[in-house]
Amino acid sequence: MTVVIGFEGSANKIGIGIIRDGEVLSNPRRTYITPPGQGFMPSDTARHHRAVILTVLKEALEQAGLKPADIDCVAYTKGPGMGAPLVTVALVARTVAQLWGKPLLGVNHCIGHIEMGRLITQANNPTVLYVSGGNTQVIAYLERRYRIFGETIDIAVGNCLDRFARVIKISNDPSPGYNIEQMAKKGSRYVELPYTVKGMDVSFSGILSFIEETVFAMLVEITERAMAHCGSQEVLIVGGVGCNLRLQEMMGVMCKERGAKLFATDERFCIDNGAMIAQAGWEMFRSGYVTELEDSWITQRYRTDEVEVTWRD
Amino acid sequence: MATETNQETGKLEFFLDVPFPSSGEATVALRSLSPDREPRRGGISKRLSVSGSTLSVRWSADEARVLRVSVNSFLDHLSLVVETMELFGPPVDL
Repeated sequence: MTVVIGFEGSANKIGIGIIRDGEVLSNPRRTYITPPGQGFMPSDTARHHRAVILTVLKEALEQAGLKPADIDCVAYTKGPGMGAPLVTVALVARTVAQLWGKPLLGVNHCIGHIEMGRLITQANNPTVLYVSGGNTQVIAYLERRYRIFGETIDIAVGNCLDRFARVIKISNDPSPGYNIEQMAKKGSRYVELPYTVKGMDVSFSGILSFIEETVFAMLVEITERAMAHCGSQEVLIVGGVGCNLRLQEMMGVMCKERGAKLFATDERFCIDNGAMIAQAGWEMFRSGYVTELEDSWITQRYRTDEVEVTWRD
Repeated sequence: MATETNQETGKLEFFLDVPFPSSGEATVALRSLSPDREPRRGGISKRLSVSGSTLSVRWSADEARVLRVSVNSFLDHLSLVVETMELFGPPVDL
């Protein structure tokens, strides 16, 4: 039996989750929401996380019904993400790891999303579309690495959506993307806008005045291309933008045409959360990974393919 | 606790000594606060060490503004570490 606690705070969500052998025991989370028209800045976000993190940590333990002694490993997000919030969270993880005498484990945020998606959906070996405010990548597992087959050449699709929401002053509560989706459901006219796919990659910065249809179609195309290259019959969508039902619907159509299966998780797990860091930490810890304190620095850039995936064959 | 200019190097220096109840706790703080690197601009560097039950920090910087930001940032981080230790400490004996 292995119990891992995971700390996540690389963007505007702060979450701490506890996993025991594939069971999510607790996963509390708080979101820093800014007024309409404003994005979230690193120092304000760090201040938000600082104010609530110890409360969320207590909640995670209480909701799981566990004491620190029951924890086997402390996992935290090493990167990628915003510097100041990452440091705030890493400080608490390092401190409790030492106080409780438990090993520490730095986790790649993107791999956290992937491992949570695999756990919840039980997809076998899917092509992964990772779409969020900070990241847009098409990923396939091959020989001990999560290979990045395609990605945005400029901004993440979620960043594009968030910036569009800011321009037209849509509320950021609960998230700008959610509110765009609700408004888009009531739309009936399609306006043709620049559709920018370059081979395996996509570009979003030129089309900030887009609507969902164009952007999501671009993502479906590059996912399909990666599936063709890998001979894959499964798609897993992870990351906050993965909550979008229209994206899931469009991806579903493509999958049906190919006889492939589509997997996605709900907002508890596709939006940044602590349990996903715990889950990736659980896999890593059991395959022998540990992070020494001196090496536990956070990093704003951390590519998904930098990690050796020793826990899969 | 004033800032001084090192006559040899021309850099601004700032020293801070933080007492802890025990050397074990000072070391926990040290190991939590030392891994992250200082942002590269402004010629700022800081060094942390523990002596007895005191955590000592020495800063060296080209510009006062950069020094101020780093010290303020460190104090915020230190207070988070101390608060965490108060809530979840003392360290277990290994």
